[in-house]
Amino acid sequence: MCSLSEKAEQIKENQNNILEVIQVENLKKRYKNINALDGVSFSVKRGEIFGLLGPNGAGKTTIINILCTLSQSSSGVAYVNGYNVYSQSSSARKSIGLVFQETILDNHLTAEENLYLHAMLYGVPLKEYTRRKRELLKLCELWDKRKMKVETFSGGMKRRLELVRALIHWPQILFLDEPTIGLDPQTRKKIWDYIFTLRKKGNVTIFLTTQYLSEAENCDRIAILDHGAVVAIDNPENLKKMVGEDIIFFKTENNQLAEEEFHKKFPKYPIKLIGKELRVKVSNGDKFLPILVKSISPHIVSMELRRPTLEDVFLEITGRKIRENNNGIEEEIEEKFDLSSLFSFFSSSKKNNE
Amino acid sequence: MNKKIKTLYIIWYREVLIYLRNTVKFFTSIFLPILILVFFGTGLKTMFPISILGYDFVQFFFPGVLGLSISIMAISSTMSIVWDREFGFLKEILVSPISRSYIILGKILGATTTALIQGILILSIIPYLGINLNAFLFMKAMLVIFLISYGMAALGIFLASRLKKMESFSIVSQIIIAPMAFLSGAFFPLSNAPSWMIKIANYNPLSYGIDALRWVILSGSLEKSEILTITSHPLLLCITVFLVFNFLITFFSIRIFNKSIY
Repeated sequence: MCSLSEKAEQIKENQNNILEVIQVENLKKRYKNINALDGVSFSVKRGEIFGLLGPNGAGKTTIINILCTLSQSSSGVAYVNGYNVYSQSSSARKSIGLVFQETILDNHLTAEENLYLHAMLYGVPLKEYTRRKRELLKLCELWDKRKMKVETFSGGMKRRLELVRALIHWPQILFLDEPTIGLDPQTRKKIWDYIFTLRKKGNVTIFLTTQYLSEAENCDRIAILDHGAVVAIDNPENLKKMVGEDIIFFKTENNQLAEEEFHKKFPKYPIKLIGKELRVKVSNGDKFLPILVKSISPHIVSMELRRPTLEDVFLEITGRKIRENNNGIEEEIEEKFDLSSLFSFFSSSKKNNE
Repeated sequence: MNKKIKTLYIIWYREVLIYLRNTVKFFTSIFLPILILVFFGTGLKTMFPISILGYDFVQFFFPGVLGLSISIMAISSTMSIVWDREFGFLKEILVSPISRSYIILGKILGATTTALIQGILILSIIPYLGINLNAFLFMKAMLVIFLISYGMAALGIFLASRLKKMESFSIVSQIIIAPMAFLSGAFFPLSNAPSWMIKIANYNPLSYGIDALRWVILSGSLEKSEILTITSHPLLLCITVFLVFNFLITFFSIRIFNKSIY
């Protein structure tokens, strides 16, 4: 009996020492006839803030759902904290905390009751729960409001409470699916402050998805996702280096002519027509601007110089802006009236997860 | 084992907490059956005086209204699972490391408890209706109420576990509740009904439930032969049918829920 528990302890220890807390290999997911995920592979190291960046419908939520065992991939493997998300889903679930894209709190109950239910679901001992509740609620500045019903909370307070809830069982990995969507800039900044504090304090690995490029800069590493595939993965600095040093956007009355002229005069600088603007990548943008103005004959309508951002990285890799369109895939197809689903019980052909 | 009970407890606790929090639902759930008993029952009583029936109409009516209101309560309480799915809270439960079968059992027991609370409160008005109920009969009645509400709660979960919208649940539950109520013998004794109707009613679990309630609740006030005229099944059969029904419907609702996505 004793050796058994020792062994279990040892296994637990081993799990806690795994360096790559999330490993995903060649993950594929098909919804009817759309490939939501098309062979995604990446790994996340312990203690880092890992961002998944991509436009709506790129497959971010699908990945999170698979990693938190809510949905099954069509093929490929995924390990969370060393546990296979299909065969060891229960252990995998114990290692993670989740904040979903939509706010999921029980509005009828108070903040404290929400936390209590969650702690009990995860089997947190009462004493531990009381201590962590106090610590986390104070950290997220909700301690005074713990007896209030959640329906009276503002959007930002709800998000903070969700963050507290996701952390109350001390997960190894915290999943945040668009944690700051729909929040005002101040609250957004605050949420990020908490995320940084948390990482410092608890050695939590944070896996988040976002479509805000400014936020992705805060991550240690970013995977850029497009059309269900990882198109780039690195830290923000290296990603930006891919683009080059400075970028000049300019618009002329005759873009085609301007492009040709530019090409003749400065063959070593790449130029590209994007939408109605021309984009040039140069090393010394501020000094190059006056030269550019003089060397092009079509009238210049507008001009902009900027240091590369992740937006430019995204543009460079995918050829379009992140906000340009919702490219196709609906993350969840909801039926309006689903009486028919009742009858599908009898046909066991439909394959669903446990 | 201890952990499993804890899981059950926590799901159950939330259901009951939400029920007790919702004071409006709490009061209407008791108010309506009492209204039906007092006004509707008294009104009908004038049409069927004791001289014709041989028993007080309220004595006939009470177990039926009790059985129907706990059934409706149990089924409508399971709406919370649709509610949880529509507003996403179900995800929070599903990603936690607890087994889905226990989620379902906890939900069923939670809904059963809400129906039991309602049952106790309705039973408490019984002294004013001229029905004798001692402590022993009360306990027996509570057991029958438990059986019925458990079955109806499990049926509710069975219906609800695939639905994603609250509107669909209210439509589906009405399609199920209405025929069950009319063919349960709550409003008129099925023993005098035409044979085709009795044939259908024999497949209605609720008709067994209401008969069981009559047998238990009225045994202190009416002769056995009198109860026989207003019921169609013996008590033992009623209990057996309900036990089997409960067992099967629990099995099916766990199965259908395990297969649902979220």
